[in-house]
Amino acid sequence: MKLLWKLLRQHISIGQLTGFFLANLFGMSIVLLSIQFYKDVIPVFTEGDSFMKKEYLIVTKKISAIGSFAGKTNTFSEDELKSLQEQRFSKDVGAFTPSQFKVSAGFGMKEAGISLSTEMFFESVPNKFVDVSLDKWHFDKESRSIPIIIPRSYLNLYNFGFAQSRSLPKLSEGVMGLIQMDIVIKGNGRLEQYKGNIVGFSNRLNTILVPEDFMKWANNEFADENKPQPVRLIVEVDNPADDGIARYFQEKGYEAENDKLDAGKTTYFLRLITGIVMGVGLFISILSFYILMLSIFLLLQKNTVKLESLLLIGYSPAKVAIPYQVLTLGLNLIVLALSIGIVMYMRGMYTEVLTQLFPQMEMSIMWPAYVAGIILFSLVSVINIIAIRKKIASIWLHKS
Amino acid sequence: MQQTLPAVFADRNSIESDVWHKDIRFEKKGIYLIEAASGTGKSSLCNFIYGYRKDYQGIINFNTDNIRSYKIKQWVEIRKHSISMLFQDMRLFTELTAMENILLKNNLTHFKSKKEIVSFFEAMGIADKLDSKVGRLSFGQQQRVAFIRSLCQPFDFIFLDEPVSHLDDTNGEIMGGILMDEASKQGAGIIVTSIGKHITLPYTETLKL
Repeated sequence: MKLLWKLLRQHISIGQLTGFFLANLFGMSIVLLSIQFYKDVIPVFTEGDSFMKKEYLIVTKKISAIGSFAGKTNTFSEDELKSLQEQRFSKDVGAFTPSQFKVSAGFGMKEAGISLSTEMFFESVPNKFVDVSLDKWHFDKESRSIPIIIPRSYLNLYNFGFAQSRSLPKLSEGVMGLIQMDIVIKGNGRLEQYKGNIVGFSNRLNTILVPEDFMKWANNEFADENKPQPVRLIVEVDNPADDGIARYFQEKGYEAENDKLDAGKTTYFLRLITGIVMGVGLFISILSFYILMLSIFLLLQKNTVKLESLLLIGYSPAKVAIPYQVLTLGLNLIVLALSIGIVMYMRGMYTEVLTQLFPQMEMSIMWPAYVAGIILFSLVSVINIIAIRKKIASIWLHKS
Repeated sequence: MQQTLPAVFADRNSIESDVWHKDIRFEKKGIYLIEAASGTGKSSLCNFIYGYRKDYQGIINFNTDNIRSYKIKQWVEIRKHSISMLFQDMRLFTELTAMENILLKNNLTHFKSKKEIVSFFEAMGIADKLDSKVGRLSFGQQQRVAFIRSLCQPFDFIFLDEPVSHLDDTNGEIMGGILMDEASKQGAGIIVTSIGKHITLPYTETLKL
């Protein structure tokens, strides 16, 4: 093999291979970095509400100044609910049930001398709209602990407002999940203490969500009023961009709360931009691949007579191809390793900024970059290997 | 070989030859001399039998197998283990030394020991050229290197395409001796082509191409 290499390495053009190397390194780094960046950033916009059914809208009635004075109610009646249910776009409709009792919640670390306490309210939606695993999303009377989903903005309020001003540690979502809240419920002349566990954060639900079974039970225990009329509805839809929804809402004077569009727009543009960047990277990669193929073909062409002689003295085409295949494979492998290194370095730089902006973000291993890199590497290498094989086969058949 | 003819001769009206358009057999242990004027298809014959070219009419069989149907893999095996060929243009690698040229073949077959190879070089009187680049050797010296290389494999037949065109008679005789020695050791057949000057061997048959 050493002799074979000594013979066949002649005419290798260092300039061409360096050109390929740099171009491919550049292209591959761009591709991997854009994929990794996209995967790192996208959860900030989308995955926050993974515990809720994918496509849903929260519907309220418009509150207008005149309406409030005229005493017009903003609750939904049974009929209105039914009508909404019957619409083509709605898959399922559920009502928010507000708490009919007084709640105050506090959390604090006695050791650190911090304690926050506030008056609150609870709401619940039917369990089918919540995607938290059922054993977590369940109120247990024995342990007196209530699972709670709070808006993510509360966490930001703490991290950027409270913690910042008192130089307290910022909390990630993971840490928040470990902290128990003290919840005091008052009503019907009773006062009881419970523990609250935060099981999720929501970008879109502007409420403090508790399980439906707890709400039913607590409303029974601590309030004696009849079933309250819902003021907010949750509607599961197939396609939130359906213009039928907008028309219907307009007609009825409903409003969709903090519309999904905002996050949708952001992710759309993010996707578009990373798509363009990735496209440029891929284009560079393809061009560099082309340089490599040209260079190898030129090399094969220059060595045709030698290759032919080798075949004639009993070397198999596969064996003769090995040096060239090893050469390209080696180059591709170095490019892969280096570009992953570059992505790691760049990622280190941007995560610093990102974690400042979104403390709840947790950086995992960069699987997307690894997977994409390995796919790209294998694809390029397989094509290289096949192309070299074909070229040598054509030398066997004296087609060149 | 049955009625074999190079495709380029197909339009000729009459062919006077002991080989083309005839049914002939080469037997193991036989020693054949093919005499030919230049341009009568001597190298073509070698190329056909060696699987390098396929532009012929008729049928060439090894035992009973038509070689036209051989796959690349089979040819590779034949070139490694069954047929050895000393090419007219030798096909040595000029940028490698004489020894490296031999080893390139021997590493493939592991047929001869390094000692045997060196003793061939000594017998052929080119022991001092072992580590010289083949490009710097004279044509006669290159012919001897190529000959040694052709011995570095097991074979049923050895083809020598004008092996002594640039050798003096003494060296030709030495080559003939080694050749007979190796061929009889393996019970192989020898086929030599020549355009005039030929190596002295106890030929069993002489064919005019």
